Amino acid sequence: MLKVKNIDVFYDKIHAIKDVSFNVSPGEVVTLIGANGAGKTTILKTISKLLEPTNGVVLFEDEPLNKLLPHQLVYLGMAHVPEGRRVFSRMTVKENLEMGAFIRKDKAGLKADYDQVFSYFPRLKERINQPSGTLSGGEQQMLAIGRAMISKPKLLLLDEPSMGLAPLLVKEIFNIVETIKKQGTTILLVEQNANQALQVADRAYVLETGRIINSGDAKVLLEDDSVKRAYLGG
Amino acid sequence: MVLFLQQMINGLSVGSIYALIALGYTMVYGIIRLINFAHGEIMMVGAYIAFILAVNTSLPFILILLISMVLSAVIGVLVERVAYKPLRKAPRISVLITAIGVSFFLQNLALVIFKADPKIMPELIEKKPIAIGPLQVGTVTVTTLALSIVFMIALDLFVKRTKPGKAMRAVSEDKDAAVLMGIHVNKTISLTFAIGSALGALGGVLYGITYTQVFPTLGVLPGLKAFIAAVLGGIGLIPGAVLGGFVIGMIETITKAYLSSQWSDAIVFGLLIIVLIVKPTGILGKNEKEKV
Ligand SMILES: Nc1ncnc2c1ncn2[C@@H]1O[C@H](COP(=O)(O)OP(=O)(O)OP(=O)(O)O)[C@@H](O)[C@H]1O
Ligand SMILES: [Mg+2]
Repeated sequence: MLKVKNIDVFYDKIHAIKDVSFNVSPGEVVTLIGANGAGKTTILKTISKLLEPTNGVVLFEDEPLNKLLPHQLVYLGMAHVPEGRRVFSRMTVKENLEMGAFIRKDKAGLKADYDQVFSYFPRLKERINQPSGTLSGGEQQMLAIGRAMISKPKLLLLDEPSMGLAPLLVKEIFNIVETIKKQGTTILLVEQNANQALQVADRAYVLETGRIINSGDAKVLLEDDSVKRAYLGG
Repeated sequence: MVLFLQQMINGLSVGSIYALIALGYTMVYGIIRLINFAHGEIMMVGAYIAFILAVNTSLPFILILLISMVLSAVIGVLVERVAYKPLRKAPRISVLITAIGVSFFLQNLALVIFKADPKIMPELIEKKPIAIGPLQVGTVTVTTLALSIVFMIALDLFVKRTKPGKAMRAVSEDKDAAVLMGIHVNKTISLTFAIGSALGALGGVLYGITYTQVFPTLGVLPGLKAFIAAVLGGIGLIPGAVLGGFVIGMIETITKAYLSSQWSDAIVFGLLIIVLIVKPTGILGKNEKEKV
């Protein structure tokens, strides 16, 4: 479904991503784990074309993305929940979801998808007319995920959905990730919370200062000594 | 008392023109964080288009107005495409200086085409007093106020209720997040320039009719005052521009009537300085940190 081939990404002279390749197959949950500044967000932004790679190519369903404009990716079936939620804070919850549905033309199907988002996150329905800037951090994360899901993506990119949330909410968010997976959406999950991420994921890549240094079955990596030491607190 | 009320209505009418122009400043600032110094010139262009149509055709006023708004919208979009879009990633100061350049360019273009001497704007709105209770108010004043309010309501509905209007708000809040929603940011920016320029042209035509003249530097002073209005209300905020416009129009008219016409501009500019010292984000502005 998604193939990232030998990409290099620079911020001016900073070589943030060095020859990174990986792939995600349909129906999989793949996680990219790594410490602060490893380059996880940079990779997701490159996939979404918010950044351009200097070398290498990203393919979505075997179509190279270099010729496309960034806003066209949603139409292909890609949705990106950015780091830090990035909800439109001056707009209401409803309006944020409407922006998520910006590309949707099928009114009938849309209704069902709103209902589904509200079944994941009943809290959003209660706060439907509230400006989203006044939501709590956890609620904003729910909104950011709901806003992405309303576009009915085939591939969901999630950038640290658990960041800054209380343990109970982290659990709730990961349960939703589980549910989204069961319903057949492919997920690329970026996390610092390696433990939780490896538990929901099928496969994982470990990123360190812009390079992939390890990869494999998520359950195997969960038991891997070097991974344990570096990312799971012993 | 009657005289005072009459002055108030004049103030509202002048203020509504400032408000229309301030909307263009504020919308463009909201979406690309640019003080579009060429906006006053779009206003002037709008006034000249109406002048040409009024002199050479017998079209009804409302049609002349609409044609002027549409053509000015096209010119506004062209200016953005040609002068600002290539600088999307450049430092803000470069774009600002470009805007000043565009402003001079349009002024001088008008100077070449129409010469410096003011042209008399034909009487597009038949001038006669209307009695509102004990008040005698001119048709131009009433029409100006009515048209401005109609278009402000239309803008409000557009921005709050329609999909492109909401996309515009999304882009002005967070471009990257808007892109991720599938919103075509450049198109949305063009749309913003189109709407801002159309409202500016409306302001220009009404200004030309109110003061019965059209000249190449017509946009300079009202443009500056409208910019002050936008800042006063809280730049980037649509209700702020409307409020700021009316406040400035009122203050200007009242000081002209009761204090001194020489001092009115100084008072308006002084007011801006005071408000910015007390509340740098403007009357309606929230003290939120600016996002990078
Ligand atoms: N806009 C930028 N300009 C310059 N350097 C940047 C920029 N964004 C990121 N970097 C650098 O690129 C590297 C990778 O950053 P990135 O944000 O991708 O890391 P990350 O893995 O997402 O980290 P975190 O877990 O803290 O979110 C870091 O060294 C960072 O300092
Ligand atoms: Mg990150």
